[in-house]
Amino acid sequence: MVSKRSTGLLHLLLAFGLLLSANGVRAQVDQAQYDTGEKVFKANCASCHKPDQAMTGPMLKGAKASWDGKGDIHAWVKNSQAYIKSGNAHAKEIFESHNKIIMPPQAVSDADIDAILYYADNFAPKGAAKAVAAAPTEAQPTSSSWQWLIIVGLLLLLVLLSLGGVRTQLVNAVREKDGLAPEVNLTTWGRIRRWAYNNKGWASVVVLLMVVWVSVLTWNFLFRIGVYGGDTVAHYKPSQPIAFDHTLHAGKDNLNINCQYCHSSASNSKSAGIPSANVCMNCHKVVAQGPKTGKEEIAKIYAATGWDPEKMAYTGVEKPIIWNKVHNLPDHVFFSHAQHVAVGKIECQKCHGPVDTKMDVVEQWSPLTMSWCLQCHNETEVKVAGSDNGYYKEIHRRLAQTPMGQRELRKYLEDEKITVRELGGWECAKCHY
Amino acid sequence: MRNPIGFLPAGLLLVLVASSCNNKKDSPGLEYMPDMYRSPAIEAYVDYGQDPYYFGDSLAEAQRGTMSARLPVKGTIAFAGNEADAAYNFPYPYPDTPEGYEAAGVDLHDPIPMTTASVEQGKALYEIFCMHCHGATGKGDGGVVAKGGYPPPPAYDGPQLKDLPEGKMFHSLMYGKNLAMGSHASQLDHRERWLVIEYVKYLQNDGKMPGDVAAATATDSTAKAPAAQ
Repeated sequence: MVSKRSTGLLHLLLAFGLLLSANGVRAQVDQAQYDTGEKVFKANCASCHKPDQAMTGPMLKGAKASWDGKGDIHAWVKNSQAYIKSGNAHAKEIFESHNKIIMPPQAVSDADIDAILYYADNFAPKGAAKAVAAAPTEAQPTSSSWQWLIIVGLLLLLVLLSLGGVRTQLVNAVREKDGLAPEVNLTTWGRIRRWAYNNKGWASVVVLLMVVWVSVLTWNFLFRIGVYGGDTVAHYKPSQPIAFDHTLHAGKDNLNINCQYCHSSASNSKSAGIPSANVCMNCHKVVAQGPKTGKEEIAKIYAATGWDPEKMAYTGVEKPIIWNKVHNLPDHVFFSHAQHVAVGKIECQKCHGPVDTKMDVVEQWSPLTMSWCLQCHNETEVKVAGSDNGYYKEIHRRLAQTPMGQRELRKYLEDEKITVRELGGWECAKCHY
Repeated sequence: MRNPIGFLPAGLLLVLVASSCNNKKDSPGLEYMPDMYRSPAIEAYVDYGQDPYYFGDSLAEAQRGTMSARLPVKGTIAFAGNEADAAYNFPYPYPDTPEGYEAAGVDLHDPIPMTTASVEQGKALYEIFCMHCHGATGKGDGGVVAKGGYPPPPAYDGPQLKDLPEGKMFHSLMYGKNLAMGSHASQLDHRERWLVIEYVKYLQNDGKMPGDVAAATATDSTAKAPAAQ
């Protein structure tokens, strides 16, 4: 009891001491100056500088000390090019050692510059980096229950067989006691045949049921071949060389980057496009560390593009990333993303599922079967009115030419909407040619 | 009576065979008639080429190792389909240097007359390619900056960018600007870039059509064809 209390006290003291020391360190920082510096820094410098590491421009921490006795840092910040021209050696040296990127003249006062440098020198990151909400990953129904049925069935068969064996032995023991010859030792198959011979009606019912059962199983199995998405099969979800997380990049609650930023050919090409690694580098030159996997996965992009994060330059040694393709359409069917995205204005999620909110690893959401395509073509309305699409105008012109066409046109408009099907979305040759 | 234990290995074997179908996690599984599923011609991202069943594993493996996605031959000019748009595909003449940046700012001008319709098109593109950093109104407060802690770009109507010439905007889209903004040349073609720039100018003008700018660009583009791409 005593010892417990004493450790409790000890912890309390320790915590108190830590709190005090933390406060002590903070107390040395002039909070007002720090806050002013932070404000001015964020408004004027943050696009190119970081306080604690180099970005476009050099790291600001320690900048003040490096200028001690070498020149006027205020003049340097206000108009760096003019200061270089004035002949300061240190200014020239910094400019040349940082890829000769010109810092534009800044309209800041001496007091502002002092505040910025004070902020940079005393910079302490606010806690951990903002935690980016990790989307819950729902387990897909992957276990195939029929495998378990087979296992259970086999076990039951085993039990039945051993019970049968025990029964035969018991019967034979009784017969031996009664002085009779033991029962003829039939094999299992033999006994089944004998039973079937004696009960022809029941046997035929059992055989019929078995045939129906096997046919249904086969039929269902055949329907699942080549189908890797939808409600009836486990979704195809291959592993990828880089653990790219769509929920982090595209999720509405996270970075909320538009799908087409990376898949930019979706609106003008057959394929939506796997972004080339230079698109990754549009942001990842600056972002070298992610919230989930740290530096590990982003280092793979650097390896692929040949980016040296230390020198902030490309080395020229590139290595392509080989992704695993998730959605595989057969060659005998034509599909174009451009038609669906640019003209049809279909949301990506309609076919690809909640990639932006649920898929940290991408899987095939929809079955991509023909009936699935046709169902959507049958239901989806085409907004013909007010469209400047020449295709609709041409269809209308041709239909309006003949009485039969006019009848067709009236038939289309019976339900007051024109579907994709009515504009040829169910024609075989629209997709198969 | 046969020993029922004899069935055990057979049963285990059956279970093993049944479960081995799922061994290759990255394989999509069975397919009907692979020769109709797979294109012998190169298709985008379909790198498995010929059917290994007919052509043998070695050829399939070799084709798997070749890339279907490639850069066009150096100096290729994309076919525009009509003469009016051809100039958009001409090579960009200004080099990726501070001098090139300044030169583009002086000589490079928007060939598309700025109209309500073109600004609308620019807005659609802006929302895909720019908004997540520059923000919906160009203040530099998009999701990547606000939630991801990315270095904020300067506001379009702030002191740094307020008077930026359109040629410099184009140059920055072509080559990127500083470390934080990468090149968007692979995502936006020349025409799309000008449309985006028109929307940026619209945002700089407080979300109004800048009347004099529209008039100036209109007369400018009628005076000379879009040659200075």
